[in-house]
Amino acid sequence: MTRLLLVAWFVAPLVALVLWAFADSWAAGSLLPDDWGRRGWDGAAGAGLWLALWRSAVLATVVMLLATPAGAMAARALVRVGARLRAAAAALLLLPAVLPPLTVVLGVDVLLLRLQLPAAIGVVTILVVQALPYTTYVMYTTYLAHDVAYEEEARTLGASPARTLVRVHLPLVAPGLAAAAFLALLVAWSDYVVTVVMGGGLLLTLPVLVASNAAGTGNEPVVAVLSLVAAVPPLALLVVLGLLGRRSRRQPVAAAIRPRPPVAAVRP
Amino acid sequence: MIRRHPGLLLLPALVPTLLLLGAAVVTLGLQSLGLMPLVGAPRLSAEAFRSVTPDLATSVGLTLAIASAATALAAVVGLGTALLVTSSARSARVLGLAAAATVPIPHLVAAAAVGLLLADSGVLPRMLGLSAEQWPDLVAGPWWVAVVLEYAWKESAFVALVVGAALATRVARYDETAALLGAGRVHRLRHVTLPLAAPALLVASTISFVYVVGSYEVAWLLGRTYPEPLPVLAFRLFSSADLAARPEAAAVSVVTGLVAALVAVASLLLARWREQVRA
Repeated sequence: MTRLLLVAWFVAPLVALVLWAFADSWAAGSLLPDDWGRRGWDGAAGAGLWLALWRSAVLATVVMLLATPAGAMAARALVRVGARLRAAAAALLLLPAVLPPLTVVLGVDVLLLRLQLPAAIGVVTILVVQALPYTTYVMYTTYLAHDVAYEEEARTLGASPARTLVRVHLPLVAPGLAAAAFLALLVAWSDYVVTVVMGGGLLLTLPVLVASNAAGTGNEPVVAVLSLVAAVPPLALLVVLGLLGRRSRRQPVAAAIRPRPPVAAVRP
Repeated sequence: MIRRHPGLLLLPALVPTLLLLGAAVVTLGLQSLGLMPLVGAPRLSAEAFRSVTPDLATSVGLTLAIASAATALAAVVGLGTALLVTSSARSARVLGLAAAATVPIPHLVAAAAVGLLLADSGVLPRMLGLSAEQWPDLVAGPWWVAVVLEYAWKESAFVALVVGAALATRVARYDETAALLGAGRVHRLRHVTLPLAAPALLVASTISFVYVVGSYEVAWLLGRTYPEPLPVLAFRLFSSADLAARPEAAAVSVVTGLVAALVAVASLLLARWREQVRA
């Protein structure tokens, strides 16, 4: 019973989204919509759904591509440097997770305006910094469990640094990288306040479109469709990552090099 | 180069973080103290803080009240979910999936969904056959019910994820041992499971609380127009046509950042103190 209630607690708002997204008309007092159809979808397309979806996807991808490698590099450094530098750097890198995004963006807005940078660059910069605590933390835990001896062995056997990175290092940390990239993507995909302040309402990403439509009344199907389209991509990615993770546990990416003990590197 | 100085690898992350946060903090400080006005000559004054003080007291109280209610609810529901998911392996999988699916939904989208569910024209009153007049004002009402429920919904899934991960690896073994030694269900929950879950629960609750304190869009969409939580107040002052309101917006932002930072530090100290007490 408790379990059923908890499942209802988690899915109820999503059920509301799906019902409204396909409701053409819904009289007050009816249990379910009276007419099903695609009125909401036509309305959402008219409001600029597909362009906003594209903008959100580009923004999230750019932020992911910048925040993931930067976080990974910082994490790799954190496990190697001395304890004092590690503590100081880790504290600084986690700070953006504590400071509210609104506070940061209201602070730098004037400054970025005076530098006359395009709004999109400001948005990307702030979101990358917002994503860094997450990518760094995930990669830090990954590198704590990572054995550098595999890379050293590859180098001893004559592989170039680039080849070692691509064939040994990256495959070994791939699950961590995937999780870090997902979190960075999520930070940018979910952002509303940074985009709306820096873009002055002109940079219409999907959340900005959801907000401007949800603030009005009477267009529930359109709001539901916009929200549904914004909710599905992260969920789909989560499923894909889950399936990939399950497969790689059964059949490790780096199976070819894993069974050999790192001691082999020092053997003549 | 990097082999000898691994610290260099910190730079791509540290430099933008330091520059951005430094710029934000310095600008907010100068603006709120009247040293960086958009119009007129800079002059050191506490005028901005003084003129927002009446609203500020209400806003701080309201922000903390919403964050406390939402976090408490999220902690209870999230802990319950984590306990159920880790205790019975197979039958609770649907619950685990439902919670996991809630985590990556953007808060703004979640707020829109909660609005569609709980507004007087929403799905819930329709399903219960209640008219708009019979339905209480959950959205934009006096008790901020929809706002608190939205945060509680999303953050309970987050708490369940974090606490579930902390319990998954260890709880079964300890629980079995305690059961073999003759501990009953209540005793095992009180002396084995809850102490194992507590550190993760504290971390997850703190993250949720700090998030709610600094978050704008949910309270803006589902709350009433007055009084305002801190971020809503800051954003309204910021986007006001009156340029003289900018220092006031900066002052409110400074207070918001301070409240968030204080909560984080307090939780850190609490975690340390707990460790020392147990050691």
